[in-house]
Amino acid sequence: MEWFIWLIPLLPFIGFLLNVFAIRRERPAGLVASGLVAASFVVTVIASAALSGLPEEEQRIMSVSWHWINTGALQVPFGIMLDPLTAVMALLVTGVGALIHIYSIGYMHGDPRVVRYFAYLNLFITMMLFLVMGNNMLMLFLGWEGVGLCSFLLIGFWFERAEASDAAVKAFVVNRIGDAAFILGMLAIYASFGTLNFYPVSVGGQLQPGFLERVPEIIGRTVGPTWQPFALTTLISFLLLIGATGKSAQFPLFVWLPDAMAGPTPVSALIHAATMVTGGVYMMTRNEALFAASPATQSWVLWIGALTAFIAGTSAIAQWDIKRVLAYSTVSQLGFMVAACGMGAYVAAIFHLLTHGIFKALLFLGAGSVIHGTHETQDMRKMGGLRKAMPTTYWTYLVGAGALAGIAPLAGFWSKDEILAHALSHDHWPPLIILFLTSLITAFYMGRQVALIFFGQQRDSHYHPHESGRVMTVPLIVLAIGAIIGGAINLPWGHWLTDWLKPVLHEEAGTFNLALALIATAGAVGMSYLGWWIYTRNAARIKVGGKDPAYRYSGDIWDGLEEAWYLDRLYQRAIVRPFQRLGSFLAGVFDPQGIDGLVLGVGVLFGRAGEQVRRFQSGYVRTYALIFTVGVVIVLGFVLVFSR
Amino acid sequence: MVPTSYYIILSAALFAIGVLGVLIRRNALVVFMSVELMLNAANLALVAFARERLSIDGQVLVFFVITVAAAEVAVGLALLVAIFRTRHTTDVDEVSTLRG
Repeated sequence: MEWFIWLIPLLPFIGFLLNVFAIRRERPAGLVASGLVAASFVVTVIASAALSGLPEEEQRIMSVSWHWINTGALQVPFGIMLDPLTAVMALLVTGVGALIHIYSIGYMHGDPRVVRYFAYLNLFITMMLFLVMGNNMLMLFLGWEGVGLCSFLLIGFWFERAEASDAAVKAFVVNRIGDAAFILGMLAIYASFGTLNFYPVSVGGQLQPGFLERVPEIIGRTVGPTWQPFALTTLISFLLLIGATGKSAQFPLFVWLPDAMAGPTPVSALIHAATMVTGGVYMMTRNEALFAASPATQSWVLWIGALTAFIAGTSAIAQWDIKRVLAYSTVSQLGFMVAACGMGAYVAAIFHLLTHGIFKALLFLGAGSVIHGTHETQDMRKMGGLRKAMPTTYWTYLVGAGALAGIAPLAGFWSKDEILAHALSHDHWPPLIILFLTSLITAFYMGRQVALIFFGQQRDSHYHPHESGRVMTVPLIVLAIGAIIGGAINLPWGHWLTDWLKPVLHEEAGTFNLALALIATAGAVGMSYLGWWIYTRNAARIKVGGKDPAYRYSGDIWDGLEEAWYLDRLYQRAIVRPFQRLGSFLAGVFDPQGIDGLVLGVGVLFGRAGEQVRRFQSGYVRTYALIFTVGVVIVLGFVLVFSR
Repeated sequence: MVPTSYYIILSAALFAIGVLGVLIRRNALVVFMSVELMLNAANLALVAFARERLSIDGQVLVFFVITVAAAEVAVGLALLVAIFRTRHTTDVDEVSTLRG
């Protein structure tokens, strides 16, 4: 009966095939795509229910469809599994995915290439499911690359716009850096364990070993030169960390995510908020045994996460584009998740992943609703006072903003608080302070955003704002309900998620720190109010091209924040431009003059040599006679001299 | 008996004069005559050695050489006549169109 779980990735894949080959019109495209993803969600729910019925030691359903790589030493099955961790990820992917598909029916209405859009979206869901359900590193990597591809296709969906296609290329190239490290990490795992399977799996009657339970065997082995040995676990986990840095947009590889907002808003909601970017966090959680065996890497993970959260959070304050605020916010919250992984609080990381998936998707879809309702305006300086014209969007957006800011009892509060409490109880003081400050900043920029969009007077009269249709607002409402009750998955006195993930992560529930929770909520409420207050008070001074009202308190730091700490400019100057110069040198100078010169030069060389040889053929008989007289003399001389 | 070396020296001198004639003179007839001179110098050397060794072999070889020289003269003069008919010159430097 294990084959049943194949339906989960297979249904969206059928949707992809139908949309590519069979469907031509918009209406069936949207319905088929959404319907199949919703069906996949239903199957996931049923499978998870079946999983929960199994005893704890056996909560892992494996299914292998064919023997993918079968070469003696390297054996990799094309298989998927369903265990508690996979199940929660799959529920998020298919559930939020289905809602976003339904939303897209309304958002992408009238687009000339909408069938292709739904095909890509379905392919993305399939690939993401392979990522979370793969039972070996190579299947995970297949999904990893697949979602990278779909991200490229979807960011650059409106490829007529130069910024969209540039952003797509940027996303792919920056991700590739992480992928290179990921491949090296896979090679290291294979070299150390001889297998890429996570757990033992039976393929074609033979039992193949898994590596996750055999990590203790390699603790203590070192690699590298004798004057600087590296622990093997540190090497492997560090490479995987770099891979996660690329995919999950951590410092220094987050620069692709804000630019990726050039894609359609539902794409931003699905790929760059709820699912693809969480792939890195999932991968680190799955390989928890490797990371736990390497405290050196864990401190890197923790600090990269904390710093990313802070850098991105501060950058989000200074953005004017409605989606860029949310993009930096996503990077910042991913930093929270990665920091949680670095602390060993994997359940908290997954909890935050789930709640963030819900409320960030909500915020992005709400932003999409605002964009549609204001006739494609994305600059918040042109918005204002939209709460009267778009009430449903306003209220759901408010719920999402509150959840993100971490205001109790919304979902974001519980998950963020669990991360902070874990930091506190394990005495990670510097990261705790950084993350706490970041959550205050988060609350501030959400208050700012809500004020700029929904309060005050409409600052630009070129559009007539209207609420979006039901096909777009109903998913918003569903997600808002999720954001409100989502915290129930892991309340400090219920620990439902910790228990559910125990067969995989073996974690104990953390203690609830009431003081921290109260301080965090008070801070969140206070900073949100401060953000809202500054931007409603100074609403009259906000105009396109002018400076932000908070500029007079911060000065030129504001420009630095708006440019995300000038990281993009640094890359442009230090990496992109030298590469472009190298490229134009190779193309303009080295290739035509060097390579072509070399090849043609061989011919020219022979030509010139021939011309020199030609001079011997003067045509004069006497010259020829002289030459062979001289030759005869020399030969005779040799004979006479050497025949003694 | 006259020492054989005198004959050989004479033969070498004649041969050298013949070689110089071939290399230096421009008139084709003079070149042919120089070639004849070289051949006859070789004949002289052969006869001298035959006399020294009291063997007839050298003189037999001289017969061959004389025959070949005659045939060569016939062919060479025929070529010269053919060239003169088209080019109206016997200067060897003038027949240099087979150049690279």
